Amino acid sequence: MYRTLLGILSVFGAALLLVALTFSKTLEAPADLRLANGTEPKSLDPELTTGEPEHVLASALFEGLTRIDGKTGKPVAGVAERWDISADGTVYTFHLRDDARWSDGRPVTADDFVYAWKRLLEPAVGAEYAYMLFPVALAEAYNTFAGHAETLEKQLMPAVTALATQSPLDARSWQDFLRRNKANDPLRPVDDDVLGELLARRTGTLTASDLATFRARLEHARAWLRDESVRARAHFGVDHGVIAKDARTLVVELRAPTPYFLQVLAHNSSMPVPRWALAAHGDRWFLPGNIVSNGPFRLANWIVNDHIRLEKSPTYWGKSEVRLERVDMLSNENQMTILNLYLTGALDCTNRYFPQELAPELKKRRDFEQAPGLVVYFYRLNTTRKPLDDKRVRKAINLAIDRELITKSVLGLGQAPAYTFVPPGLPAYTAPATAIRHDPDEARRLLAEAGYPGGKGFPRVGILYNTMEDHKRLAEVVSDQLRRTLGIEVTPYNQEWQSYLEAERALNYDIARAGWNADYADPNTFLEMFVTNGANNQTGFSSELYDRLIRLASDVSLLARDPDPTLAKLREPEPIRALLAATQSGSPTDREHARERLRLLLLREAESILVEDEFPIVPIYFYVNGTLTQPRVHGYSMRVLLDDGSFGPNLQDTHPLRDVWVDPAHKGEP
Amino acid sequence: MSTRVLPPPGHSPGARAWRRLKRNRLARVGLVLVTLMALGCFCLPALLHLDPTTTHPAFRHQPPSAAHWFGTDGLGRDYAARVLAGGQTSLLVGLVATLTCVVIGVLYGAAAGYYGGRVDEVMMRFVDFMYGIPYMFLVILIMLMFSESARGDPVPVFVALGLVEWLTMARVVRGQVLTLREREFVLAARLLGAGDLAIIARHIVPNVLGIVTVYATLTVPTVIILESFLSFLGLGLKLSWGQLVSEAVGVVNPVAVYWWLLAFPSAFLAVTLLCLNYVGDGLRDAVDPKGH
Amino acid sequence: MGRPGTQGGTLSALEAAAVAFGVATLAGAAWLPPKATRVSGASFGGLIAFALARLAWGVPVGALASVTFALVLFRFAPGAVLRRVTFLVPSLLLLVFVTTLLMYHAPGSPFAGEKVASPQVEAALRAHFGVPKSAVDFFGIYLRRLVVEGSLGPSVKVQGRNVETLLRPALPVSLTLGLLALVLASAVGLWLGIVAGLKPNSAADYASTGLSAIGLSLPSFVLGAIGIVLFALKLGWLPVAGWGDLRHIVLPAVTLALPHAAYIARLARGGTIEVMSQDFIRTARAKGLPESAVVLRHALKGAILPVVSYLGPAAAGIMTGSFVVETLFGIPGMGQWFVRGAINRDYSVVLGTALVYASLVTAFNLLVDLAYAWLDPRVRSRS
Repeated sequence: MYRTLLGILSVFGAALLLVALTFSKTLEAPADLRLANGTEPKSLDPELTTGEPEHVLASALFEGLTRIDGKTGKPVAGVAERWDISADGTVYTFHLRDDARWSDGRPVTADDFVYAWKRLLEPAVGAEYAYMLFPVALAEAYNTFAGHAETLEKQLMPAVTALATQSPLDARSWQDFLRRNKANDPLRPVDDDVLGELLARRTGTLTASDLATFRARLEHARAWLRDESVRARAHFGVDHGVIAKDARTLVVELRAPTPYFLQVLAHNSSMPVPRWALAAHGDRWFLPGNIVSNGPFRLANWIVNDHIRLEKSPTYWGKSEVRLERVDMLSNENQMTILNLYLTGALDCTNRYFPQELAPELKKRRDFEQAPGLVVYFYRLNTTRKPLDDKRVRKAINLAIDRELITKSVLGLGQAPAYTFVPPGLPAYTAPATAIRHDPDEARRLLAEAGYPGGKGFPRVGILYNTMEDHKRLAEVVSDQLRRTLGIEVTPYNQEWQSYLEAERALNYDIARAGWNADYADPNTFLEMFVTNGANNQTGFSSELYDRLIRLASDVSLLARDPDPTLAKLREPEPIRALLAATQSGSPTDREHARERLRLLLLREAESILVEDEFPIVPIYFYVNGTLTQPRVHGYSMRVLLDDGSFGPNLQDTHPLRDVWVDPAHKGEP
Repeated sequence: MSTRVLPPPGHSPGARAWRRLKRNRLARVGLVLVTLMALGCFCLPALLHLDPTTTHPAFRHQPPSAAHWFGTDGLGRDYAARVLAGGQTSLLVGLVATLTCVVIGVLYGAAAGYYGGRVDEVMMRFVDFMYGIPYMFLVILIMLMFSESARGDPVPVFVALGLVEWLTMARVVRGQVLTLREREFVLAARLLGAGDLAIIARHIVPNVLGIVTVYATLTVPTVIILESFLSFLGLGLKLSWGQLVSEAVGVVNPVAVYWWLLAFPSAFLAVTLLCLNYVGDGLRDAVDPKGH
Repeated sequence: MGRPGTQGGTLSALEAAAVAFGVATLAGAAWLPPKATRVSGASFGGLIAFALARLAWGVPVGALASVTFALVLFRFAPGAVLRRVTFLVPSLLLLVFVTTLLMYHAPGSPFAGEKVASPQVEAALRAHFGVPKSAVDFFGIYLRRLVVEGSLGPSVKVQGRNVETLLRPALPVSLTLGLLALVLASAVGLWLGIVAGLKPNSAADYASTGLSAIGLSLPSFVLGAIGIVLFALKLGWLPVAGWGDLRHIVLPAVTLALPHAAYIARLARGGTIEVMSQDFIRTARAKGLPESAVVLRHALKGAILPVVSYLGPAAAGIMTGSFVVETLFGIPGMGQWFVRGAINRDYSVVLGTALVYASLVTAFNLLVDLAYAWLDPRVRSRS
């Protein structure tokens, strides 16, 4: 009997010993500020990360040539103290601070940037954000051309050879073939009219000689891509693209003027990395103990799945401006947990991570702040599958959804219903006219016209969303609205993230939820994705005019060559014609100005194809970012100071930690 | 102790068990309640024209009222309709997964027990091996495999849960069969030249049905709870009690107390599970009055 | 299946053959002579103890634990137990292989991101992380790394770290939580069960049965959520979530323990009723032994045996429950790694957690068997 008791007691003892062992680690000093930061960061390497949590951390640990100012939300001097821009807007000369230091005391030099940028663009490194630097001359060639040449040689050319036996070929199978082989991607940088005409062939047939021509042009394109890539390898970072003139002077050449370039430089993808730490520790260089950083904070502790502790860096050039000593970034993706932590005072700021379902209640609180963001929530429609391959059906779906009701009663945070695609608030860009509205009668008429009167005979379609409560709610409302307005069967269903991404990519869905966040404040980041077979298109949508408009917008001077055929197809050709003339005369600043306005108008024409003619998407709403922030926290605002002295929304929801401070009078209070 | 009436001779063991079960008050109440619950979930929505899918966002989060007995959810849907519809899937999951598990478990256990020796050893080692894998692990992997083709179809959940729950069943059946195969009537059948399959089908399986029923009844609540775990982790069914409860857990918060969202599905879930457990216990006592 | 871009597809002949081979090896172990089983069982047991303990506390403790465990097994363990350990190593291999297959046949790849990577980038990443496109190749790489480097492979989603570095801090957290929950469940369950069993149909019995009914009939996350609202948000006694000091462990441990406490209470109640109705209790009482001694000596024994045999399944159940509880309370333990690993298709993380979990469950079942044999001498002679 006593054995039993002894046994029980020893188990008890062991358990207590374990508890003691686990908790025996030393405790950290309390942090000045505790922020919710979403999911566990994948990495702290500024060039390899893509997620929002990583972006926030990288911006605290590192600093690029410019940085985003917390007060105005605009790029200001970072490691570069000042810069000169050439008259045509293509050459930037950056002068680096002499007191910019790494956390191990070494100076931050121009070479560090050249090294970091070459690393970002190195194909073998696999940086997903490499395209951020594509405005820099030769950068794209350095990053992708060798791969494109290889794809052409190993995949597309053999496939074309095999296809040649099937000629003549109807245009539909031809387009199918191009889509299957992802032909557009490697050929996009190639400027070849013959190739362009063949790629755009959507009617008639392709003869054997067409295919032979195509193959010959491919060979030509491959050779060109290879040569360009070799040229980029030899010159990029040496005497082209980006050049370190001396330790504190960096010259950057752009391939065309890029108004948002200073913003790009504040992004984590173009931040410098310490080459000696990388050499010493390989892909573990960013772990505590190994990491060397140049930003306002340094990494003090990292408890995976729990939190990351940052502390003020003593070597940062602007350390007198940094007022936080210690910051904890909580890694937790459970929105309810985050809200509860905030409510009990264990967290100072929820960031955007609170349950959307409670938004109307939270909105009433005084510590809640919100601002519209540069994010659009939309549904992709699979244009390659019946019945959504019919644009009347796609338009009917667009007209059947009551966005007012959704934004007012389901979301309730003041989100704006989206009838166009590009979010409002971008400088100088105005939304095009749109055919999207709430019009149930017209929707039913269109559906009947497409052959499904009252939804009869309409196949069952699914709405795919990634597993998350907020997406689920929306998918359920939308499917209910479609069911009741159009009389069609719509099933919402979820997949977890990795499966969802793959289903979207493989066009293995009918309707799929999506969101798009601006990498930089420019409509280009939204519209570029719908080019034919673009990696992020994922709808099967393809329009020759759309592709041409996007291409022209990236280099407006191309339009001057032969404007009339393009202009004839546009909705509002007159202002464009006028601006085209303005780009060719007047002072350099006027021309520059005209070019920029022309670019935006071309993008606007492209957007109108999406929302007036083709409807490959269903825009639902434009985001509102919100956060609960304890009153003792200052400088963590959803509003930014505008040039005219008034306040505007913090569109990109950026809150640089270096500009945040905590009111000492409040300190210690829950 | 009340006076016992001995069953008339000639009654089957099944009838005797049923008689004993009826005398067990908790089990009796449980059985009645579970039956009512099932009837309610499957019949009431049609009778009362309840609609679990139509949304009225403007009337969201209404507390219980005469129009909406259980209130409305975050999209203004009638919560009573949703709780009942959720009950349908939850009960179905319980039933179908249990059936899967009975089929696999009985066949496997009977084979292992009947052949005995090394065959038994190997087969039971495999069961041990499966026991060693946390079953949630398998369920999640199976769910992921099916996540694409299923489109919210509940079948993978049924299968996944059935596939991991058969182990106990196999063990129990095997134990019974081990003793059964030494019994006279089995030996007699064998002497008369009956084949293995015939013996298993005619003599072994009918004799383990009692214990199988017991464990099957106890498996149903386990499966329903497991499904709720899956729902909580975001891998469950679209509309089930587990799903409703985990959604409600997501909004249990002092900022906004939508208590009805948690209270009703929890109550339905709890009552059902409890009753099933009591019925199972009662069955066990009835089938095997001497204890197990 | 078999669409471009998927890794899935039907089982290849090679994969099927490998599975068949694994099953055959497993079966072959059944034919080992008893002496060989003793040696192999003890050494395998030691090996596993080493692997686990090293992960949690480092090499010296691991070596010590390994040798002790092997000796204890060899000297004291019943043959049946050792036989089971012998099966373990081929079982784990099979587990790794089958899991690899399942993961490779599930849609989605670990390298899919929001921004689409070019084929060249994906190829570079695959090579870097040792995740080729074929399941069999991956299995080969994984095993080689496991044997040669003693490493569980790099994580794709938490970069710069190996799986063992990730699990090392997580394992003690989960072990602590699980063990505490187990102890709590046993203590509370036994107490409730014995109290109820001593006076069946009394108020105490109904109260205890009612309590255990709640524990049995609600998913633990509901109880946990109610606990959070009550004790953390309303009363402010305990933290909402996280891990760091002793107050953090209370709610999760209780949540995790409750369903099992309820089941143990039921078992203990039955056991107590059975023991208390037997003749020797009447004798003991007639001898004038104080009631407390009767209870302590006999009732406890009657209650505890069925409970001990439940501890094995309870431990497995507690681990499963920890997936949910760790998610609910934001605890940096093993459960979160498994769930997140599976959802992110972080293959090495999934395999690593599966290995650790499977070894833990087996080890715990062994301990329970040993304890049972020790408590009840009849069992020892039987094996």
